[in-house]
Amino acid sequence: MLETFNIRVILEYLPLYGSCLLATLWLSGAGLAGSLGVGCVACALRTSRFRMLSLPAAAYIESIRSTPLLAQLYFLYFGLPSLGVPVSETTVGILALTLNSGAYMAEIIRGGIQSIAPGQIEAAISSGLSYLQRMRAVVLPQAIGITLPPMLGQAIVLVKDSALLSLISLMELTRAGQILTSERFMPAEGFLTSAVFYLMIYSALKTLTVWSRKRLIYLHTG
Amino acid sequence: MIEFRDVHKWFGDLHVLKGINLHVAPGEVLVVCGPSGSGKSTLIRTINRLETIQKGELIVDGMKVHDPRTPMTKLRAEIGFVFQQFNLYPHMTALENVTLAPIKVRRIPRREAEEQGKEVLAKVGLADKLYQYPAQLSGGQQQRVAIARGLCMRPKIMLFDEPTSALDPEMINEVLEVMRALAHEGMTMIVVTHEMGFAREVAHRVAFMDYGELIEIAPPEEFFARPRSERTRHFLSKILTH
Repeated sequence: MLETFNIRVILEYLPLYGSCLLATLWLSGAGLAGSLGVGCVACALRTSRFRMLSLPAAAYIESIRSTPLLAQLYFLYFGLPSLGVPVSETTVGILALTLNSGAYMAEIIRGGIQSIAPGQIEAAISSGLSYLQRMRAVVLPQAIGITLPPMLGQAIVLVKDSALLSLISLMELTRAGQILTSERFMPAEGFLTSAVFYLMIYSALKTLTVWSRKRLIYLHTG
Repeated sequence: MIEFRDVHKWFGDLHVLKGINLHVAPGEVLVVCGPSGSGKSTLIRTINRLETIQKGELIVDGMKVHDPRTPMTKLRAEIGFVFQQFNLYPHMTALENVTLAPIKVRRIPRREAEEQGKEVLAKVGLADKLYQYPAQLSGGQQQRVAIARGLCMRPKIMLFDEPTSALDPEMINEVLEVMRALAHEGMTMIVVTHEMGFAREVAHRVAFMDYGELIEIAPPEEFFARPRSERTRHFLSKILTH
């Protein structure tokens, strides 16, 4: 079986994989940045005292978390144009990753903020610190340490989820495997090579996660 | 300095403060005792509006705390609050804990705030712990940092909510010692505590609370020797047996 495995073809397609790796990194990176922004805003709204703000945010978070990413992607890809909103594939792809991951990020951030003992907030209030001052000095420095590992975990999920963007014919790592399959009829070589590249991205993020966990331990023991 | 006029507070259906009338003069040390759930913590938490009151008037340092339009951040800067659980910021050293509010709220230059912070931490006996994190300090040391954190704001009033209840017995005295010194300097203090020795020795008046009511308030000699109310007598007989 292994003698039929064609390394030469893989080498031949390596430039394609290289550009597709960059595309996956760019799509995921944009999605990650977007989801951090969306996550912060959604979390702030979700924890608001005003139901007019917290209810829509809760609806967004729950509807994203309760439906498949593929369905969300198709809704944006086919749905938006049918509603008269013309968007490019790349925009749809990044938007889908941003909105999907943003809901999870919002919950991660909320968990991080809520894990800070309310007594500390009361102490900060009692000292006369304003809302923004106590967020900046007391809540966020601790919440960032606490949320970094789960956020990196979500980043790993996001990179893998970006494979779905191949279905709206965006060029990325999984699409490269499909191309090798359809042009040379070599699905094993094609998708295994894609997998190796995903593994490389995963390893890098995993290393960061381990490092951030260590940092977290330092933070808590001083 | 602090004036409660018929103050009421409810948590849902629970009536936790039932018409409190109380006047605390500048420089006075008032100890509040009473069974758990009697409303004594809630009482002092209303003073800097950690809890809002629903009825009555509460005037602190000339400001109407009961009025929702009164901006609280300025008043809170004048009131130090010490919690049962210390509530230090775990990601900051002792010195950072005590200088945060002076720098951010009082807008004192960092160097000056640190000078003052070192001075106050030395005063509470922690000159050698400036750069330790809360997790590296004992409970008694943490509580002294918490007191120093309040003092660094140069407050007019210090409030203590069961400051020694979470401490191991051998650490209670080091905290009471700091509070005693503070009282002798003329600080206006309200202390919720069951340390009756401290009350006897330091307080100008001792108050007894039960079921959200201020049952009795008197100078310590009178409070301990001739309690007027049956409930006070009953409470004192239970906590003074040892």
